Amino acid sequence: MDGGAAAWTGAGPRTLPEAIATLSRSLPAGPSPEIFRRAKFDHPEAAPVLWRLLFRVLAPLRANCAAASLGRGAQARWVKVVLHYCGYPRPALAQLPEDGSQGSRELLLAFSWLLARVPLLEWLLSQTCVQLGDQVPTFECEALASPGLAAPQVDARRSVDLRRLQWLMGKLRFRWRSLICSQQEQCALLSKIHTYTHGCHSDQNLGHLSVTETEMLRDPEDSQQVRKGPEALRQMLGCPGSQALWLPADTLVQAEVPSLLALQLLRVLERENARLEAALEWRQCELIFWQWMDTVLGACPPEGPAVPTFLPRIPEHGCQELELVARELQALQEKLREQVLSRRQAWETQVGGLGHGPEWSAARQALQQTVEQELLALQRSWEQERGPSLTQGPHRLVKIKAGTAGAQGLPVAEVIRALRSQEASLEAMLCWLQGQCRQELARLAGAVPGLLWILPPGC
Amino acid sequence: MSIVTVQLGQCGNQIGFEVFNALFTDSQSSQGLCSKRENEAYQASCKERFFREEKGVPIARAVLVDMEPKVINHVLSKAAQSGQWKYSQHACFCQKQGSGNNWAYGYSVHGPKHEDSIMNLIQKEVEKCDSLNGFFIIMSIAGGTGSGLGAFLTQHLHDHYSNALKMNQIIWPYGTGEVIVQNYNSILTLSHLYRSSDALLIHENDTIHKICAKLMNIKQISFGDINQVLAHQLGSVFQPTYSVEGSFHYRRNPLGDLMENLVPHPEFKMLGVRNIPQMSENSLPYSTFTWAGLLKHLRQMLISNAKMEEGIDWQVRPPLPGLPPLGKMSQNREQHFNTSLANLVILRGKDVQNANLEGFKDPALYTSWLGPDEAFTVWKTQRAFSRYEKSAALVSNSQFFVKPLDTIVGKAWNMFASKEAWNYARVHGTPGPAPPQTPGGDSRVRPLLTTGLAAWGTVVRGRVSEVCAELSKQ
Repeated sequence: MDGGAAAWTGAGPRTLPEAIATLSRSLPAGPSPEIFRRAKFDHPEAAPVLWRLLFRVLAPLRANCAAASLGRGAQARWVKVVLHYCGYPRPALAQLPEDGSQGSRELLLAFSWLLARVPLLEWLLSQTCVQLGDQVPTFECEALASPGLAAPQVDARRSVDLRRLQWLMGKLRFRWRSLICSQQEQCALLSKIHTYTHGCHSDQNLGHLSVTETEMLRDPEDSQQVRKGPEALRQMLGCPGSQALWLPADTLVQAEVPSLLALQLLRVLERENARLEAALEWRQCELIFWQWMDTVLGACPPEGPAVPTFLPRIPEHGCQELELVARELQALQEKLREQVLSRRQAWETQVGGLGHGPEWSAARQALQQTVEQELLALQRSWEQERGPSLTQGPHRLVKIKAGTAGAQGLPVAEVIRALRSQEASLEAMLCWLQGQCRQELARLAGAVPGLLWILPPGC
Repeated sequence: MSIVTVQLGQCGNQIGFEVFNALFTDSQSSQGLCSKRENEAYQASCKERFFREEKGVPIARAVLVDMEPKVINHVLSKAAQSGQWKYSQHACFCQKQGSGNNWAYGYSVHGPKHEDSIMNLIQKEVEKCDSLNGFFIIMSIAGGTGSGLGAFLTQHLHDHYSNALKMNQIIWPYGTGEVIVQNYNSILTLSHLYRSSDALLIHENDTIHKICAKLMNIKQISFGDINQVLAHQLGSVFQPTYSVEGSFHYRRNPLGDLMENLVPHPEFKMLGVRNIPQMSENSLPYSTFTWAGLLKHLRQMLISNAKMEEGIDWQVRPPLPGLPPLGKMSQNREQHFNTSLANLVILRGKDVQNANLEGFKDPALYTSWLGPDEAFTVWKTQRAFSRYEKSAALVSNSQFFVKPLDTIVGKAWNMFASKEAWNYARVHGTPGPAPPQTPGGDSRVRPLLTTGLAAWGTVVRGRVSEVCAELSKQ
């Protein structure tokens, strides 16, 4: 019986099955300890569950709905690609069949690697965290802002009717305006709730309730009144109508099915609480798991020269890489200094006594000044560009009077400023792209003699 | 989401009153033929769109603008007398002197002079909406105040509320004409609105008049009768409908949904409305309708460009695909065929879920570049509208207005040309035609007129060539 088995049956307050059970409880859809045990011995029946687990933890939460419809093969491919992208070192994983029929030990290793390598639990917990506050969606157009959009692929053989294109474009514009309209409505309604509930919150810094909190207070366990989630906000304010309205937590958006919002929320909170508790427990007993994982690794057949040593470590993202880079940088700097020194000496001997006159030193000073100024300007613009750290996750929307003492967080004015600058850069990009299109159109029109190009109205 | 109505001029104010009255009366009617809960949702939706509440009294979300006080005072008191709803006393703007059918006077004099006051009133009304869906601007196109000032205000609404939707409800003049300069005025209005409005919902006086005479059996037709028919048509379009079929949730963004389906193309913004059934209250109790019958008629009204249920040309058929394009037999018939860019059918009443709309999904009804999937939409509600157990309305972006447009542009060109000939004669001292009675001599209107005609000419020519191209393909 090896060490792992001893731990499995172990005495002591923390046994391996218990440790794995806490890990499972803190994961979304975590498998049972038995699956882990079977995976150690590479039993094929554990493989599908582990593929699913890996897929679940690697797929971004928002894409989940779309991704869930992926077939088993596609899910396995996804897992392989993402792990490869993350730098997973074992080539054995890539060779596993994608039908999920075998390779449970490899999958267990991959999962443990992820667990050790990245703050996996923290990510998963923060992704599924229930938001009680009203959130401000932060920048979501980063991808758009980056230059180098893919050039449109035009299939020359298939002609697209320009009028149809105009139609679709017009449709897009209308939808955009509707979106803005409903955003404005949401803001107006939120503002009403914040004003009405002013002074109700136990947290003095917040001062007012969020939509979710208001709903819970208003209707903690009224089982008579069945309401639809997205409608609650409007009904809360006595407004008619019924179209879906943005609500903060993803769980609430699912409340399309008639249900008790407050009770449902309570259940979700309880679930989240249980997972947080499990995660805390896991932190205390994870050593048992890692010791056992060593025996799993020991049970693997040797894999050629590049078998990594498996060390449990506190997941500090990127720390090691940073050290590596720093060392390299230092070495490079040393080299550079030596080279500069030798060059300078060679140059000075070459120039000899020349260049020590007053003109020379004045010119050098002026040059130095301009370089310094430019450097300063560059630094300033760099600092401005960085701006406030707006991209760090969503923020809770709180209405407080301007100039309130002790106000923390991100003032709206800053967000607006950042958004404005982003808008300006997006507009500049749009202008540039439009100019490109116009040039291209002019070129195309010029190639056809006798063609008259009249821009449609509104362009 | 709410719609702010701007009532302009005599025509706009009179129609506006009838529209609000029709909307309110229908929403309060107990003859909706649906459950109490559904009726309440319908009422609430209608109220949110068009009314707000002040001390328990529904107030129309409207701004009333006219250069003479008479009509505004009249509709204010009529609304108050209804005892059901009111206009806000503080949402009216009027002056002592009208525009005298002078388009340029409305556009260049009244507009800039009163811009601040009127925009201020509109702003106040907008601030009373939780969310602004858009503007509904009711005006005639051939008069002075409504059309001139209307074009001016639409432009300014476009500038100030760029994200709000703007639908102009415009009244097309009688073909025989009440005003000599109506063709000029119409072209000027249209050319300006085409740049600033999102959609033009057009009612022809001639059509409504015929409906009053033939379908409603009215002997002495007054403007009141005409306006009531018009209000009925608008009500049948803009009263609430389900956002998703069978869901009992009412649409919250009616203007946006309508425009997205009908007028995304920047060059085709003119919409016509057809209703069925439409009859006098006396004959209503003795009539029964089936969805199949109503929709069969409505479809034929669409493809044969019939203005009403009576006198439909049943010979018109959609062109068959694959027939030789110049078959003599079919060509004649196809020329009467009305091609659609996009259609919206709105059904209200009993068993609406059973209505079969396949007839409207025939690709032959539409252009070659937009299939029925994108070009056809249907809205429904089980709630009956205005005492009709079943009723259907059609909002169509089609060739309905090609002919009226050609007529108006032709007449205006002729007038403009003869005026130029007269000017030429005067300058060169040769005898010429008599000067037509137009405001063209007004230095303010001349440049407007020239650019208006040129701009409008382009649009119309574009539209006509579009039609020709479509025809030659078939």
